[in-house]
Amino acid sequence: MSIIEKGKEFVSTIPFNKVSVKDLLSFEKSPRNILIAVLTLAFLAMFVIGVGIYLVHGHHAYGVTRQHPWGLLIAVYIFFVVSSTGLCIVGSLGDVFGFKDYMMISKRAIFGSIVTIMAGFAVIAFEIGHPVTMLIYNILSPGLTSAIWWMGTLYGLYLTFMVIEFVFLLKNDMKMARYFGLTGLLVGLAAHSNLGGVFGFLNARTISNGVFYPTYFILTAFITGIYISFIMMGFRYKLKFPENARVMLVNLAKIQALLISILIFFETWKMLTAVYGGMPNRAEVAEHILTTMPFWIEVAFAMVIPLFIILKSAGKNVLGMFWGSLLGMVGIFFMRYDLVHDTQLKPLQMMKITEYQLPPEWVHYFPSATEIMISLGGLGICLLLYYVGTKVFTLDADEH
Amino acid sequence: MARYGMALDYKNCINCKACEVACKEENGVLLGADKHRIWVGSNDPEGIWPNLSLASAAFMPSQCQHCDDAPCQEVCPTHATYYDENGVVRVNSDKCILCSYCMNACPYDARYVDDRTMTVDKCTFCSDTRLARGETTTACQNTCPTKVRTFGDLDDPNSEISTLLRDREHFSLKSHLGTNPKLFYLT
Repeated sequence: MSIIEKGKEFVSTIPFNKVSVKDLLSFEKSPRNILIAVLTLAFLAMFVIGVGIYLVHGHHAYGVTRQHPWGLLIAVYIFFVVSSTGLCIVGSLGDVFGFKDYMMISKRAIFGSIVTIMAGFAVIAFEIGHPVTMLIYNILSPGLTSAIWWMGTLYGLYLTFMVIEFVFLLKNDMKMARYFGLTGLLVGLAAHSNLGGVFGFLNARTISNGVFYPTYFILTAFITGIYISFIMMGFRYKLKFPENARVMLVNLAKIQALLISILIFFETWKMLTAVYGGMPNRAEVAEHILTTMPFWIEVAFAMVIPLFIILKSAGKNVLGMFWGSLLGMVGIFFMRYDLVHDTQLKPLQMMKITEYQLPPEWVHYFPSATEIMISLGGLGICLLLYYVGTKVFTLDADEH
Repeated sequence: MARYGMALDYKNCINCKACEVACKEENGVLLGADKHRIWVGSNDPEGIWPNLSLASAAFMPSQCQHCDDAPCQEVCPTHATYYDENGVVRVNSDKCILCSYCMNACPYDARYVDDRTMTVDKCTFCSDTRLARGETTTACQNTCPTKVRTFGDLDDPNSEISTLLRDREHFSLKSHLGTNPKLFYLT
């Protein structure tokens, strides 16, 4: 049998359900489902409108400036790829590392990681000015000293490995799934820490420069993965969790408590070392961050409230953690937004350069309507792909 | 093959902004306050009248520092930013993907987006215009009424800039970042 025939046979034996548009529309018409369906369609419509405005006006449709070249879309891209890496880590617990309790979420988490990174790519395609040029010159003249080159290239590879791993999971070939899962996990972690490196390498931005972000990104990815796991399982079982799901989620909640505690510890020391000694460009930025609302939303929603929910019930309040995870994801969004905005808070040129200008103080930025529409569109793409995935593939491990 | 740099006798600057205009005119830089390759920074005098500090109200002409170790070049994912044969930091607009990483990495805020090509643009020491025509001065230098700027080959020991840098004390901006700028401020 030739390789092509073998390939054809391999592809033709991937188990999936034939789904028509009618099947996609035949969901239980509960108020909750209808609300999510309407929201998803609205987000997708916003994506189309936002992209249309961008294609006409380019970056002028965004709130980005010379002093603040990275805006909301970069933050949303990071939000999605962090989610992807996190889901990859959670998915790997079962099928790569062999923890039996987590097997039941492996396929769903790996599919989630594919969906979220695709949503991230959809968003970043309209932030990068020339995405096609990027694909060409990424290969023809690679900038090996650039963290963006490594991040982008490794994420491309990561997506490939995730897809292959998912195919083997569908075929229930756990051995091959483990190999590709482990490779994908390692490549994903490398890609993700390089994303932290994109900020960590900025010598001119003392608030972000250093080892913090490349390591913190991995930690927050795991935290994000666990939040999304709660959300996915909550929707899967309509908040009536069977015993095996409950056992897994209680375990995940305990891990989450540890991870959030470490994160709070990291964050506290980051801010203390940034403020201590009054180092120019760093201390004043850190002090300014402490006075901003998004930072405290990040702290409350992504760290304090979920940690409180877990600690209060020793991790057993799975329902509470479903809602805590929804809140947590809002906090994680602000975490990404803060990361991007705070890096660019301090002007690099502190003198007046035009007449009647006030002396530069802080760089201001607020996302434009177009940026917000494309960002929500990314969420719409994510929801739609995930929904289609739940219809086309069998994502529950226990149905084999 | 040369290694071009510029010395700025910045205390002679009178903030007439002729250099900014000449740069825009010579190099076809788009209009708009944010679209500039070079600029003159100024500080308001500190203190309360009549005890104003004139020393604090300095004018500081600036632009791309054409660093020998340019962060913008290191972070570029497609090698769109490169050193040309004269050590000038340039952008190949065909390769630029407008990821804006260089704009974030440059410690001097020397880069902006050219709306015609939708790529990042910056000072080129007039490489595409005056130097390409065989002239030996940049537009900003040529127009300066108080002769703030001296442009030339740092590798040529007999060039005016080399002589100046030997004779006069000078400093570079944000030298602690290790970028090794080729713009020198004479004191």
